[in-house]
Amino acid sequence: MLAIGGAPSAGCAVIALLVCALSCTSGRESKTAGEASRDAPDRHAFAPVLLPDLSRASESVRRQLRDAYGSLTERIGEPGTTTSQLAQAYGHMGMLLMAAEYPDEAEACFIDAQVLAPDDIRWPYYLGHSYKTRGETLKSVAAFERALRLQPDDQATLVWLAGAYLDQGKPEAAEPLLTRALARQPQSAPALFGLGRAALARSAYADAVQYLERALSLDPRAAAIQYPLAMAYRGLGDMDKAEAHMRLRGPGELGPRDPLMLELGSVLESAVAYEVRGAKALDERDWAAAAASFRKGVELAPNEPSLHHKLGTALFMRGDARGAIDQFEEALRLSPGFAKANYSLGVLMGSNGRPDKAIEHLSAAVRDDPAYVEARLRLADVLRATGRLAPALAQYEQAAKLDPRAADAPFGYAMTLIALKRYQQARDRLLEGMKGYPDQLMFAHALVRLLAAVPDERVRDGRAAMRLMQDLRAKEPRTPELDDMMAMTLAELGQCGEAVTWERDAIGAAERAGRTDLVRRMAGNLLRYERGRPCRAAWGDQYGGLLQ
Amino acid sequence: MLVGGCRERATTSDQRATSDRQPTSDDNAWFADTAPQSGLTFTHFNGMSGEFYYPEIMPPGVALLDYDNDGDLDRLFRNDLVVDGRGGRTLRFTDVTGSSGIDAHGYGMGAATGDYDNDGCVDLYVTALGSNQLFHNNCNGTFTDVTRASHTDSRGWSVSAAFVDYDRDGWLDLFVGHYLNYRLEGNIRCFGLAGGPDYCPPHVYTPEPSRLYRNNRDGTFTDATAAAGLATEFGPALGVATADFNGDGWIDIYVANDGQPNQLWTNQRDGTFKNTALLAGAALGAEGEAKSSMGVDAADFDNDGDEDLFITELTGQGVDLYVNNGSGVFEEQSARAGLRQPTLPFTGFGAAWLDVDNDGWLDLLTVNGAVTQNVEASARHEAFPLQQRKQLFRNVGGGRFEEVTVRGGAVLQASEVSRGAAFGDIDNDGDIDVVVGNASGPPHLLVNNIGQRAHWIGVRLVGGETPRDMVGARVAIARSDGSTLWRRARSDGSYASANDPRVLAGLGDSTKPPTVRVRWPGGRVEEWRAVPVDRYTTLKEGTGMGVSAR
Repeated sequence: MLAIGGAPSAGCAVIALLVCALSCTSGRESKTAGEASRDAPDRHAFAPVLLPDLSRASESVRRQLRDAYGSLTERIGEPGTTTSQLAQAYGHMGMLLMAAEYPDEAEACFIDAQVLAPDDIRWPYYLGHSYKTRGETLKSVAAFERALRLQPDDQATLVWLAGAYLDQGKPEAAEPLLTRALARQPQSAPALFGLGRAALARSAYADAVQYLERALSLDPRAAAIQYPLAMAYRGLGDMDKAEAHMRLRGPGELGPRDPLMLELGSVLESAVAYEVRGAKALDERDWAAAAASFRKGVELAPNEPSLHHKLGTALFMRGDARGAIDQFEEALRLSPGFAKANYSLGVLMGSNGRPDKAIEHLSAAVRDDPAYVEARLRLADVLRATGRLAPALAQYEQAAKLDPRAADAPFGYAMTLIALKRYQQARDRLLEGMKGYPDQLMFAHALVRLLAAVPDERVRDGRAAMRLMQDLRAKEPRTPELDDMMAMTLAELGQCGEAVTWERDAIGAAERAGRTDLVRRMAGNLLRYERGRPCRAAWGDQYGGLLQ
Repeated sequence: MLVGGCRERATTSDQRATSDRQPTSDDNAWFADTAPQSGLTFTHFNGMSGEFYYPEIMPPGVALLDYDNDGDLDRLFRNDLVVDGRGGRTLRFTDVTGSSGIDAHGYGMGAATGDYDNDGCVDLYVTALGSNQLFHNNCNGTFTDVTRASHTDSRGWSVSAAFVDYDRDGWLDLFVGHYLNYRLEGNIRCFGLAGGPDYCPPHVYTPEPSRLYRNNRDGTFTDATAAAGLATEFGPALGVATADFNGDGWIDIYVANDGQPNQLWTNQRDGTFKNTALLAGAALGAEGEAKSSMGVDAADFDNDGDEDLFITELTGQGVDLYVNNGSGVFEEQSARAGLRQPTLPFTGFGAAWLDVDNDGWLDLLTVNGAVTQNVEASARHEAFPLQQRKQLFRNVGGGRFEEVTVRGGAVLQASEVSRGAAFGDIDNDGDIDVVVGNASGPPHLLVNNIGQRAHWIGVRLVGGETPRDMVGARVAIARSDGSTLWRRARSDGSYASANDPRVLAGLGDSTKPPTVRVRWPGGRVEEWRAVPVDRYTTLKEGTGMGVSAR
């Protein structure tokens, strides 16, 4: 039993503060706000508030909940406590319990807070969300409806309640709420999104397109709109638009601005809660906020390696490489087999011009987690860049086997074969890559260069290179690289004059783009073409000369 | 019948006493649990140690197979069904694991069944964390482990698999859905918001590529994953259902993924597949969110002649009901059908379309159990606090369902950690029974007590020289009222489980023998007239009246 103010012990996990049947609350709910505030609270007429078994909670959460429970108990015991103070104490306790994922106990607190302060939207609103999380739609609807009666134009309540109606298969009930939300805020993308969803649920595709297109124009980054919009276009038979929007779909939700839930999300003092907040900030690219949250998490759980790793990531993104290294090393000290920390250190070392240290850390990451595809790919890249070609091939091969979706693996493998001057094998691999990854044009790019400019005349094939070039030009906008490849191909076909023109265009475009490295490399090619010679340096020296 | 999983735990009287399960004495309940009295006394134990190893929450699956060809479904407990003179049925299962030669040595997950060598005896594929195993049925009550020789070990972590003749050559190929890259040594620790340890979500691990094995017709298989075009798109697969979704006569493969878009591998009729799930509207939830898909089943619930999809999901997500428009294009209609709201509080695993009351409309049963700790159960200091009840939905026509779990009986309302569920007519009385696999608990044998009150038709569809079950065959049953029921022979679907491949269709109060038209997996269409009702009939490919394919 957890006695108030005492230490936890085994046995009964809960204690009732004030015991009464839940049905007691229904009669009180019918009172008006004025009556409730005039009356002294009947302290024996509330749902029992139970402190859950906290044995599995972290120390900081236990402390927080016990403190809040103590405060609540004190408030109840003090004769001078006002109704509003008591409601606040119950509500605060409920918020903590809900944030800590104790929904039953939170529910009791919110119900009591609601009885004490029937004109306060917060308590039915939180109840609505608590039920929603548990999938209890009917109760969620009832709670949101109560909240809406208190604040009929509250945007968040309107949108969430409409969402609950959609879950019930009642688009006709959702639409008036969303229309009301839109009338209040004509620029509300969430309201338009909801109207689009409701229209889709009625198979009213034209209406859905109209609402969802408007929502997208207001919030072009909201990837969540893309899928329903694609479905709406599909319903209208416009498959081109459906496919285009489908390609742009992505994760994420499009919810209303929700200050109450934001507040609830910040009440819990636990390492995991800070980790969640930090991750959210990372998603929002707010590196400073992410670092601050992770640092608080580290303070609460200094021995948790993943928090140090995440803090290191946030610091790195903020530009603090030294701080990042310290955190990654601390993560490794706490957990020597922590592959992600070794991976991050490997990436950092690689970008700092320390390939040997990078290889050391990336090898450790792969050793500790053999299925870590990103680590294998990065390791392979560093090995290739430093001339360790055979082990690079092995890593690319393993990465491809582990994740056949990773086009970088077969591509890296082919490029390593080129570095090894195994041009025929490289050509075959690139052809396979083009077939297997039709959207990844890097295979075709590499193949054009290979066919146009490798020293091995058994592999060189200017005509085939030109066919590929024509395909690429139909698929891609003109770029300096593409022009350079065209010049290379023309030179191989003996059309050096035209090659000179294309190469000059490429150099001009690269200069305008400020790409001096590219200009330097292409200048060498231009010189060759001007002398009537084909190119035999397909990639120049961009791979440290290893490819030639 | 086979229950996948780890090992049996000795059942003590105390443990039985604390279990929620109670044999129902309610005669009106649609289902009664007869596991204890029929000899199914196995108790699954997942090996949990308090370390919250992810694989602990995934098994067990269940397989129903007539391994001894005696006409009743077994479960590696041999079923000695006794029918008395008045039609009364007594189920008696005998544990024959030891004598069967089946030595499953991995951390078991589930099973698939199919006669891959066309010898007329159903074989068994066991999925696991580690190496899978293929057991060849020797047609004498024993099995031989042919994993190595057949090249089907498919190492890694797989849960659901399906035998499917995707190239229409008359030999069953094998699709193995793989889940996550997981090693015990690389186990990641996860915590709830309050700081307590808990099971991880799937996204902390990377998915493993699933595998398609082509049958070489000589007892071996070739990994055709890349050649078939399946290699570059995959997710953490948990459920697999094979059916001809676009009505072109070629079987497609649907894969339910946990936390990533599902795949609909549409058969291109040349040995390759194309994932059409996204534009087909069967990859994501209605709002475009990738859901935590687990169990899946395909069937024609609205009797319009095409295969619709039902998928179980995580608490807070609600199930998916993808309604087919006949061409392999779907609309998610769970909310409209009345299924979304009641399923939101549950995490579903095993599931199937079944006509519980034989009224001709397919109903739904889901078996549930959470994957993160249930606070209330934790407070009771339960060792595995993930319990949830099951759900039964009755098809009321018009594309709508009503929840009838209470009518299903006490066994459906008991809170347990249910995972696999296999569906079939175990007592051969003309209705669908269910075996439910519970994680760290005893199984249930849910005997259907309502289906036999209506009339029905049962067909076993066999083909080949040594007749085997022709999974994938589609059946059109023309009823006396002019309507047609569409069913298919299948053993796949649900979660980690294998079902009765016979086709059973409810006829309501009609006693008129219907006409049955079969579209065989190879493309041939045949018809049988006046097929008897209220009994099983074996229809052999090549013995019916040939009709044009369209």
